[in-house]
Amino acid sequence: MAARLLWRASRRLLAGAGAGAGAQTGAGLSTAPHRDKKRWLRAYLEQQRLEAPPQRRSEKPNWDYHAEIQAFSHRLHENFSLDVLKTAFVNSCYIKSEEAKRRELGVDQEMVALNLQDNSKLAEQGMSFSRSYLTQCFEGAYPDLPAKGIGALVDFLTSQELVSYVAQNLSIQDLTLCKEFPVPPDVLQRTFFAVIGALLDSSGPEKTGVFVRDFFIPQLIGKDLFEIWEVVNPMGLLVEELTKRNISPPEPRITRQLGVSTVLPLYFVGLYCDKKIIAEGPGETLLAAEEEAARVALRKLYGYTENRRPWDYSKPKQGLAAEKAISSN
Amino acid sequence: ACRQFVEEAALDFARQHPDVVLYVSPRAGPAPVLLAEYLNGTVREELIASKTSEEIVQLATKLAGQSGLDIIRIRKPFHTDNPSIQGQWHPLTNKPSALTVQGPRLQPQ
Repeated sequence: MAARLLWRASRRLLAGAGAGAGAQTGAGLSTAPHRDKKRWLRAYLEQQRLEAPPQRRSEKPNWDYHAEIQAFSHRLHENFSLDVLKTAFVNSCYIKSEEAKRRELGVDQEMVALNLQDNSKLAEQGMSFSRSYLTQCFEGAYPDLPAKGIGALVDFLTSQELVSYVAQNLSIQDLTLCKEFPVPPDVLQRTFFAVIGALLDSSGPEKTGVFVRDFFIPQLIGKDLFEIWEVVNPMGLLVEELTKRNISPPEPRITRQLGVSTVLPLYFVGLYCDKKIIAEGPGETLLAAEEEAARVALRKLYGYTENRRPWDYSKPKQGLAAEKAISSN
Repeated sequence: ACRQFVEEAALDFARQHPDVVLYVSPRAGPAPVLLAEYLNGTVREELIASKTSEEIVQLATKLAGQSGLDIIRIRKPFHTDNPSIQGQWHPLTNKPSALTVQGPRLQPQ
């Protein structure tokens, strides 16, 4: 105790002497040591900062909406018409909450109605365009995949989680005008499709198609077909596919088996058509192995194996304009 | 040097990087700080107190070119999405199957 008081007193004396000398000679700036915040106070303030509810970026200091929107369009290397883009970020819940606030503040009835348009039309345009574009892409790339499979892939790519993940990493969450924060995923999805619709209005279908391809198709990397598309009876589906191609139905045979009498047996079941093997799949039980073999066979038939050629991003898709005209009608 | 940057080089930097929004605001803090906010939410602060104007420009261009991923040690300098072309090896890959093996003990069926 006494030592601490002595130490503090000596520090102040030294500081006083230093400040005094510095002020007299006028050489440079010497800051007198100020009393820092107490350790417990710093810990408390840090805890308050961490427990504070998340705030919108627009409510934090340093925010210029127009500049941010310009930067957004430059970042994506796209020319947006800024008015269309600004309407794309406006959500209906925002308009309702703003009108409610104005009514509560007692503003005149004429001033209550905001001059803002919704993004619902743009969102529908963007959604339908991206769905049709992705369907065409997949029909071109995997011609053997049936319509249900393509539909499942497109549904996965336009699902809420994926689209909201892409939108958050493109800072669309900061730019949306919405009532709740953090923005719920369906609102993010609608806003992202509205942005795509705005791009469609500004730049035309080809550039929008390139944009959709660049942001959605890489989300399929590393994903297996049957993770995305749930097939309940792969064996039945395989038999249908083989009858369509006039191949005899498959005959399952056990190819290898390990540890049959143990807790973890492993069976490899091979499917043979006309005595030739088409696929082989492992499993813990014989039924599981047969199902897995059917799935492997389907993957081979549809051309969605792991060692297929990676997606071709080089050439832009031609013939899209005609399709777009058809889809919009 | 910080003030020199704001007076001279900030406009040029902002024009050369149209996708970055540059905010200049006086702060009642101990030291001038360059705060970089990335699209995925990471925020990086760099002290620019005793740096020359050119150094600040270089630092700003470096921060503008980074993505917001954490700066940690990269475990391996290679990555592939197709680790296996012909199928990954497992202990039963090249073992002949019981149906086709022809040896002194097993007869072909």
